[in-house]
Amino acid sequence: MSGAVQFYISTLLVYLAVDVMACWALNLQFGVAGLMNFAFIIFQAAGAYTAAVLTLGSPDASGNFQSYVFGSSMPFPLPLLAAAAVGAVLSLVVGLITLRRLRSDYQAMVMLVVSIIATTVVTNEIRLFNGPAGLSTIPQPLADVLNLDPLDYQWFYVAMSVVICAVVYFFVHRITVSPLGRTLRAVRDNDAAAAALGKDVTRMRMFAFVVGGAIAAVSGAVLVQFIGAWAPGGWLYPETFVLLGAVIIGGRGNQLGSIVGALLLPVGFAEATRFLPPIGRPGLIDALQWVAIGLLILLFLWFRPQGIFPERRRTFDGSGTPNRAWTR
Amino acid sequence: MIGSALTAQNAAGQAPALLSVRDVHQRFGGVSACSGVSFDVQDGTITGLIGPNGAGKSTMVSIIGGALRPTSGSVLFEGHDVTGKLPHELSRLGLTRTFQTSSEFSRLTVLENLLVAAPSQVGETFLGALRGRRYWLAQERARVGQARELLSRFDMRDKESDLAGDLSGGQKRLVEIMRALMTKPKFLLLDEPMVGVHPDLALRLAEHLERLRDEGVTMLMVEHEMSIVERLCDPVIVMAQGTVLVETPMRQLRQHQAVVDAYLAG
Repeated sequence: MSGAVQFYISTLLVYLAVDVMACWALNLQFGVAGLMNFAFIIFQAAGAYTAAVLTLGSPDASGNFQSYVFGSSMPFPLPLLAAAAVGAVLSLVVGLITLRRLRSDYQAMVMLVVSIIATTVVTNEIRLFNGPAGLSTIPQPLADVLNLDPLDYQWFYVAMSVVICAVVYFFVHRITVSPLGRTLRAVRDNDAAAAALGKDVTRMRMFAFVVGGAIAAVSGAVLVQFIGAWAPGGWLYPETFVLLGAVIIGGRGNQLGSIVGALLLPVGFAEATRFLPPIGRPGLIDALQWVAIGLLILLFLWFRPQGIFPERRRTFDGSGTPNRAWTR
Repeated sequence: MIGSALTAQNAAGQAPALLSVRDVHQRFGGVSACSGVSFDVQDGTITGLIGPNGAGKSTMVSIIGGALRPTSGSVLFEGHDVTGKLPHELSRLGLTRTFQTSSEFSRLTVLENLLVAAPSQVGETFLGALRGRRYWLAQERARVGQARELLSRFDMRDKESDLAGDLSGGQKRLVEIMRALMTKPKFLLLDEPMVGVHPDLALRLAEHLERLRDEGVTMLMVEHEMSIVERLCDPVIVMAQGTVLVETPMRQLRQHQAVVDAYLAG
């Protein structure tokens, strides 16, 4: 394989890992717990900004052309862990406002508004994260220690992303197969009935929201340290719907479905259209891409709402042991 | 006075009522849904709650079940004031309600619907879940055993792996009752349990409820179908226009002129 092709493929694999993590997080919130988190992308952004400012160093250093808060140069993997913590705390705050008293359709509206407010604030308050220009020259983790040539570093990053993915999968899988996951799904299907059976519905929702928010932030941190730049244009509210589309198309409540959804929609779609010959005026293909994504989501909701891989039906063997996914 | 177990002591000096409603008022804006409702539910009974549409029965169910906080008045359960407690808190105390409309967890299997209801599951916390199935499997198996016993008892053992959303209306009702029983309730609040249930199945459901009563589960049952009320409920509380008309033993129900009037007028 030529260097260029390897470069291209390794980049796609990192994107895929990031999107898979994000889809798992959104699936936990939306597919499993039934939360309409239309602000999902801001939690990814929060993780990205956290990891960025914690690796960029002091903003007062000489020659620094960017303004941002909390600048420091933490060693890997501290920025990643800090991102997870910030994602969790931000989710807790947003969740306390939206998830306690509001019905789910209003929750969705408030989330959308939160997403727009977040973009507006970060764009206009330049002292926070350098405003619309965003942050750049974000250092790559361990690059100075490893001293690899660029292509080898690419593959190192792929491996690291896969390992982080595996850790995220561990969390998501353990939650969804456990009695906790079952209670989350019960809350999704009928919250009043779950409450009548002794389940603290608000607590359950907060839990899915906070864990999902932390994972979203981790995905943002992995992404930002790979591409080295992050600006408000990259996390506008429609980006949430690409991920939501991936979860719906792949199959709500199914982790494998989330992988396939991430492969098809955020990665596959964006890449496939990249190779189309330019037609019409500049930007037309980009615009049509949104139309196509919207249509795809609608088609699935109409004709195959359960997605490519439907939620697994959980059965038990004669001794009362839950059957594993591959035994049926 | 409010909150004292003494208020629940009835005139005959029997044991305190399991559930007491004391002077409950509920206003929605300018509309008064309940005004001064008081009644007792004695331990070991299936008490009927009947009345024409708009009598305030559903409002009372919402208040007792914790979905609504009354404008004033109080609800005592086992002598303790539980007014304003949330549904999940009441369920943990042993007061579990069912719903008028189907409320199954539709994308869970029948067996899972029952398992959800089991109290204090070790795998239901974040850390418990993260420790993996080795940690919670033993308890899970025991709970599956309990749930399967219930399913056998209600003749639904062969449906355990069906999605609850695919069941018939009557079967959904059974799932709901079994699910409530998984919480090991002392008190069941049944909101029109027979609505939409095939008559044959309704008879079997009635038998199940009688057996539960004999096993010591107390029930308050809102029901429109008088044949069911006559068969199952004793005593009966009659409500009309937001107040209690009478609380009477079943056999004397038809002797109350006010009841006849309320139904004819209602």
